[in-house]
Amino acid sequence: MSLLELKNISKIYGELKALDNVNIHVDQGEWVAIMGPSGSGKSTMMNIIGCMDKPTLGEVLLDGVDIAKESSKKLTDIRRDKIGLIFQQFHMVNYLTAVENVMVSQYYHSMPDEKEALDALGRVGLRERAHHLPSQLSGGEQQRVCVARALINHPELILADEPTGNLDEANENIVLDLFAQLHAEGTTLIVVTHDPEVADAAQRTIVLEHGKVAREVINENFEAQQKEWLARLKG
Amino acid sequence: MTKRKMFLRMITASLLRRRSRMLVALLSIAIGAAILSGLVTIYYDVPRQMGAQFRNYGANMLLASSGEERMRMAAAQAALESIPEDKILGATPYRYVTVQMTRNQLSFVTAGTDFSQVQLTSPYFVVEGAYPSGSRQILLGKEVAETIGAKVNSVIELSYRPAETASAGSEIIPGVLLTGSAVGFNNNPVYVTLRVDEDLRITELTVNADTQTPEYGGQCAEPFFTQRFIGKQIPVTLNEDVDAVTGATMTSQAVTDAINHSGAAETPAAAGSSLNMTVAGILDTGGKEESYIFMSQEDLTALTGEQDQIDVMELSVSASSDELAEYIDAINGNQKDVTARLVKRITNSETAVLSKLQSLVFLVTAVVLVLTMICVSTTMMAVVTERRKEIGLRKALGASDSSIRTEFLGEGMFLGLLGGLLGGLLGFGFAQIVSVNVFGSSIQLQPLLLPVAIIVSMAIAALSCLLPIKRAVAIDPALVLKGE
Repeated sequence: MSLLELKNISKIYGELKALDNVNIHVDQGEWVAIMGPSGSGKSTMMNIIGCMDKPTLGEVLLDGVDIAKESSKKLTDIRRDKIGLIFQQFHMVNYLTAVENVMVSQYYHSMPDEKEALDALGRVGLRERAHHLPSQLSGGEQQRVCVARALINHPELILADEPTGNLDEANENIVLDLFAQLHAEGTTLIVVTHDPEVADAAQRTIVLEHGKVAREVINENFEAQQKEWLARLKG
Repeated sequence: MTKRKMFLRMITASLLRRRSRMLVALLSIAIGAAILSGLVTIYYDVPRQMGAQFRNYGANMLLASSGEERMRMAAAQAALESIPEDKILGATPYRYVTVQMTRNQLSFVTAGTDFSQVQLTSPYFVVEGAYPSGSRQILLGKEVAETIGAKVNSVIELSYRPAETASAGSEIIPGVLLTGSAVGFNNNPVYVTLRVDEDLRITELTVNADTQTPEYGGQCAEPFFTQRFIGKQIPVTLNEDVDAVTGATMTSQAVTDAINHSGAAETPAAAGSSLNMTVAGILDTGGKEESYIFMSQEDLTALTGEQDQIDVMELSVSASSDELAEYIDAINGNQKDVTARLVKRITNSETAVLSKLQSLVFLVTAVVLVLTMICVSTTMMAVVTERRKEIGLRKALGASDSSIRTEFLGEGMFLGLLGGLLGGLLGFGFAQIVSVNVFGSSIQLQPLLLPVAIIVSMAIAALSCLLPIKRAVAIDPALVLKGE
């Protein structure tokens, strides 16, 4: 069943077509990577999927609702209720502790619950660092807090923008492990990246070039990767 | 945890963990609130402080008889009950009679009074020696003392004969201080002291018309009228030699009569008593009091045999002009024998100075408020610019525009609360310092001022946040994705 469907969407800025008649669909529970060089339209597509921008032409169906036709107030509601965002620059509120940053997401969504927030931090291995400020956390730790924040409200879709772009290899692997775990639990993941290694971890990679879908690559090894990952996790 | 608790946790964290930024905004609000509360305290305390200062310039209310009969002391005391006791700084009775010196037969206006009250209602009196403190002591006006060559501790025999309608038959001697009296409006006496040259032309004249209506007869004591007599030859005829004061013909006539019948010459020793009095002090006022003799009411009674009679009572009342008007209405309504009236010259200038001072303070307060607002607004604007990312992030996480608005307003008002509390207290200290240095007395705390300072600071902070909030709400959440 498709969770997200982009039908013939274009985004036009004056003369420039940032996206040119793109068609994409993502199924429930799928792990999809979006790749492409700079200027290929990745950011524009990310903004549209993340309900922060609307296409000039076309339909964007998220859970069957055409978000291209909604007001920006309604888009805020959809983003809050259905999407968990992870950013390249981590983006934490710098005067709030790790657990408070997670609770901010709960605060806008429904009710802050410190215990639940601490559990989410435990899931990303940061239970002991919960009461540290961002300045006291490493980049990898900050990104893990952001993952905890993105999944705290049980979103239908996790949208990650270059999630490992600012991380070293060790931390990149930790984040990818978390994604694999989320995928195993049935969360839909869309990861925008230009790192082939990150893209290779996904089930399917969509390559954008000049605002168009250049090609789609199915990861034939995905099943094997997941098994290996599970084995590593148990061992 | 409730949403409200999380909200408070976020805004307190924002203020406490970003101290250096917020300190600037907090300080500007606190300083604004301090100046505001300080100035408001002064604004409300100025009338009290200045009122006390003004009372150094003399009485501001007069009581006189309302009928033909002279006022009784008891009636004046009864009239005082219409004024709250703590508002009355002093109440001085005066009874004026003309008394002669037995040795040289010179006549002088003599006032029987209460010296303890004189010092309260006329604090500007300068006395060489001391105020009389025992019986048979007098205070001589400087001019009287110079005329008769008396000094402190001199003994003078004074004698009294009952007043006639005018003290006739005295001889006019050039160069010597002459006194006279005549009956003016309402059967109340008018007193004059003067000197003449060889041609009997008047060279100096002072008039005491305290018993007359101030707006009309009272004008006859003012220099514009007394100057008209200078150079005129005795006897003077009213409306030929000298024009009367408009609306005060009777008093003007009485002044003319008193001048024409004045004298320093021997008068036949009349029936009446005489007493030996010791000069306790010599009075220097720069005014008409220098030509009078002052003694206690008891001594005057001993000299004249009169009991309990006074011409006027001077009151020094510490009150606003509205309150004074209220007391006067009460006295004039309740007491049929006594008329109260304001010394307008004093009360009018008090009111004028006070209203000018208050409007100055008001203006400065308004300017300070505007400056505080600009300062807080600028700081909040800088805060918004600095926190664009954070605002974008909050919006990306699903914060609605109204959430962003509430958060910034909450921070602003929390700053207002802290700043108002801090500033309100600082302001009271500031007002206290100003008060002690300028007025020389401590200030009364207005208990309502602290809550008012806090509310005003919060309102100002909220108002200052409006523009910054507008900018915060306009921030695009997509900016957090661009990896800036």
